[in-house]
Amino acid sequence: MATEYDVVVIGAGNAGLTAAATLARKGARVIMLERHNIPGGCATSFCRGRFEFEVSLHQLSGMGTPEFPGPLQGLLQGLGVRDKLEFVRMEDLYRVMVPGRLDLVLPADKGGVIGALQGRFPAERENIGRFFDLVYRFFSEVISAFYMKDPEVTPEKYPLYFKYAFRDAQSVLDAHFTDPLLKLAVGIYWCYMGLPPRLLAFGDLAAILFAYIELKPCHIKGGSQTLSNAIVDSFIGNGGHVRFNCGAEKIIVRDGAVRGVVTEHGDQITTRYVLSNASPITTFLELIGRDDCPAVALDELKGASYSTSFFTIFAGLRCEPEAVGIAEATNFICAQTDFDRDFALTRTLDCDESAFIMSCYDVSDPGFSPPGACQCAIVAMKYAEPWLQVPPERYAAEKYRCAEAILRRVEAHFPGFREQIEEIEIATPLTHLRYLAQPGGSPYGFEQHVKDSSFFRSPKPPLKGLYCAGAWYGQPGYQPTLASGVAAARAILREMKAQEVKP
Amino acid sequence: MKQDFVRKIEGYDEIVRERAICRKYGLDYSTEGGKIRSFINRLHPPRLMLRVSDVIDETPSSKTLRLVSPEGYLPPFQAGKYISIIADIGPIRTSRPYSISSPPNQRGYYDITIRNRENGFVAPHLLNRIKAGNRIEASAPSGGFCFNPLIHDRASVFIAGGSGITPFMSMIREVVECGIDRTICLFYGNRSDADVIFHDELLRISQRFRQVTYVPVIETPSPGYTGARGYITGDIIKGVVGQTGGRTYYLCGPPAMYDFCLPELEGLSIPRHKIRREVYGPPPDITRSPGWPSHIGRDAAFTVGIRGRGEIGARAGESLLNSLERSGIVVPALCRSGECSMCRVKLISGRVFQPAGVLLRKSDRQFGYIHSCAAYPLEDLEIMF
Repeated sequence: MATEYDVVVIGAGNAGLTAAATLARKGARVIMLERHNIPGGCATSFCRGRFEFEVSLHQLSGMGTPEFPGPLQGLLQGLGVRDKLEFVRMEDLYRVMVPGRLDLVLPADKGGVIGALQGRFPAERENIGRFFDLVYRFFSEVISAFYMKDPEVTPEKYPLYFKYAFRDAQSVLDAHFTDPLLKLAVGIYWCYMGLPPRLLAFGDLAAILFAYIELKPCHIKGGSQTLSNAIVDSFIGNGGHVRFNCGAEKIIVRDGAVRGVVTEHGDQITTRYVLSNASPITTFLELIGRDDCPAVALDELKGASYSTSFFTIFAGLRCEPEAVGIAEATNFICAQTDFDRDFALTRTLDCDESAFIMSCYDVSDPGFSPPGACQCAIVAMKYAEPWLQVPPERYAAEKYRCAEAILRRVEAHFPGFREQIEEIEIATPLTHLRYLAQPGGSPYGFEQHVKDSSFFRSPKPPLKGLYCAGAWYGQPGYQPTLASGVAAARAILREMKAQEVKP
Repeated sequence: MKQDFVRKIEGYDEIVRERAICRKYGLDYSTEGGKIRSFINRLHPPRLMLRVSDVIDETPSSKTLRLVSPEGYLPPFQAGKYISIIADIGPIRTSRPYSISSPPNQRGYYDITIRNRENGFVAPHLLNRIKAGNRIEASAPSGGFCFNPLIHDRASVFIAGGSGITPFMSMIREVVECGIDRTICLFYGNRSDADVIFHDELLRISQRFRQVTYVPVIETPSPGYTGARGYITGDIIKGVVGQTGGRTYYLCGPPAMYDFCLPELEGLSIPRHKIRREVYGPPPDITRSPGWPSHIGRDAAFTVGIRGRGEIGARAGESLLNSLERSGIVVPALCRSGECSMCRVKLISGRVFQPAGVLLRKSDRQFGYIHSCAAYPLEDLEIMF
C-alpha cells in the first residue's frame, strides 16, 4: 500500500463514495477507508435465507423522467455509474392510513394528487388547490433563484420565497386546511426529514412534495447496495484505492492543518486533504481529538441535537404482495392525526401507537425478491436514548416486544401477513449505532432545524485540509448526501488547484 | 456576499436568536467522544479476551472448554448463537465458529463443546493443546440460529448430529431453567453410543421435565442398546411427535445429515419455511459438491495475486480464506460458511467455485465480490480487499 495520497476519504457512505469517485475521476490519488466490510453505510443490504433485505432506500428522489431529467441523473452520469444501474419508477407517492378514518392513495403527479385529495375532502376543494398552488409557485421561485443561479435574489423578485422559506410547515398547513386528516395526508412526508411540521421549515416540506411529484419516486434494481457497489467500481476503475475492514483511528493535525491519517491497524498515510464522511462527533472528538479540534467546530456542534433513529422490521414473505392486500410500495400507517403526538412517541420504546412506514419494493419491482415472494421494511422513527437505557440482558426481549406490537398493527391492515413471514430481522436504534458508528444511531444526522441549516453555518472548513460531507453536514436522504459528496470533492479540487498555482 | 439575502427572509432574526441560545445552552459534545463504543461494547464488543477456566471431558472424542472473562463481563446472547474462536497455530492465525452450549440465563461463563474432527486443524489444537488457564481470543456471540418468538412455533423439533447438539443444549437448558413455555422434541444422531455428548444430562432433563423429549438415534450401536437405530428418518420423527404440523424444525449437524434429513422432512410434508438450519462450515471435500468441474482435482495448485500485497499459492480443494490464512494473511471472518459476508473480497480476475447456498448479495455477484470462505480457486486468481 502506498503511504502518500492526495486525499484520504474516511467512510464509504453515500457522500464518501461520491466524493471519492469524483476525486479519482479528476486524477487525484485517493484512498478510501471503510471500517465495515462493505461499502454504503446506510445504502446497503443483508441476506437472510433466500431474501436480500434493503436497509434504507425507500423512495429515491431526483432521478426525474426522460422528458424532465432530475439532478441525480447528471450526478450519476458524471460518476460513470448511470449505465450500470437500472431504476424503477414508482407510480404513486404513498398510501396513507388511519384505521377507520382514512385510507388514501396519492399518485405521483400533480393533477392526481390534487384530484385524490379533493375527492376525499370535497369540502376543502379550494383549500387543496390553493395549497398546491403555493407549493408550486414557491418552488418555481426556488428554481429561478438558486438552480438558475440568479445573481440578484431579492424579496421583490421572489416574494413567496422570502415570506415562506423559514416559516414552519405546520402553520402553513393550518392556514390552508381544517380537517386534521387532510393535514396528515399532505404532511406525512415529514417522516423523511425526522421533524414534525411544527419544527420543519415549509421550504423543506414543499421541496419534498415538489420533488417527489415532479421528479417521481424511484427504486434501484438490486437495491441501494448496487448503487454503492457501482460507485466503488467506478472509483477503483479510476485508480482509487479502497480498504474495507479498516477504519481511521486518527487524523494527524500539525500547525492547524491536516497532515495525515492513521488507520485502525496502525498504518500511517500522509495527506494534505481528508474528506470525512463520519459524524462530526467522530471526526472532531475521536479522530482529531479535543486538543487539535478548533473551538469553532465544537461551538457549532453545541447548538445541534441528534436526529431520530429507527426501529425497523425486515420481513420476507413467502407470497406476492397482493396475497396479503399490499397494493402500494409505500404505506404510511398512523394511529392518530396529531403530528406532534407522533413525534413525542419517537422518544419512547413502545410501538403500540407510533406512526410507521411500510415499504414493499416488490410492488413496483416484482423481481426484487425471489419469485412468489416479497419483502417489507416496516419502519418507526425512534430516538436512541430510550434504547440506551435498556439493560443489555433485556435487549433481545424488548426487540421482540416492540416488533410484536407493530406486527399486530400490520396484521390489522393486511390480514394474513403474519402467517406469510418466512424470514424476519429487527434493527433498533442500537443496530444503527453499531453499524454506522454514529452517536444517536441517526441516519439523518442532526435534527433538521432551520437554525442548523447551511444558511446559518459557516461554509469554511474549520481546519485546513479537512472537508466533511454527508447527512450530518447538510440534509439527510440519498439525493442530498450523494450530492454533498460531489460538492465537497469539488471544493477539494478547487483548493488543490489554487495551491498548485501558488509559487 | 451570497448569504446577504438570507437576512431579508421573514423570521431570520428570531432564528439567529434561537441559534445563539442553543449554542450557549446546548449539549457539550466534547464528552461524547468514545461513548458509542462503550454502549455498543456491552452488546457487541469487537473482541472478547477470554480465559479457559475449566476443561471438561464429555466423551472420548469431545471436551467442553469453559470460558470466562478476566474482566468479569460477558455480553448477553440468545441461545443458539456462536462465538468465533481465534486460533494461532504455528505461524497461522485462523478462526472457527463454535456454538455456545451453556444457557444464556447465566453469564459467568460461555461453554463451547468441541469434538475431534477427522483431518481437523483447529479442533485437535483446542482439544490437545488448550489447558485451563490459557487465554483465548474470540468474537462476540453471533449468528441467527435462535428461537424467534415472532414467527416460530412454541413446539420445536430439534434434529442434531454429533457436535451439532451444542446450540440445542443452550436452548434446552434455558427452557427448563427459566421455565419457558415451549415444548422441545430432540432427535440426536451419532455414529456410536459412546459418541453421544450430554447423554446423561439430556436423559435427566427429559425425565424431569415433560416439555422435553429426548430421542437418541445411533447408527452402529453397541450390543445391548435398545433405542432408535440408523439415521433420523421421517418415520422415527413421526413416531415420536405424532402431529407434525404446528411445529418449527431446527437442524444442526454435518452436511451429510442435512442431505439425509431434509428429504425426510419433505416426505412428512413439512413446509420449507418451518425448517431452520444452522450453517456448519464447508463440506469435508468440496470437489464432491454438485457442479464441481470434474477435471480439476483437489490438489490442483494455483497462484493468487493480492493487489498491492504480492502473491500466494492456493489449492483448488481449499477455500480461498484458508489459503490466505495459510500464507499469513488475516481476513476478518466469522461464520466461515458463506453466510455472514465478513470475509468478502473482490475477485478481479480468474474463476472460483462457489457452492450452492452461499448468501451473496445480488450486486456483489454483479460486481465480482465473493465470500472467500466459500470460494475455491479453479484457476489463477487476482483478488483485492
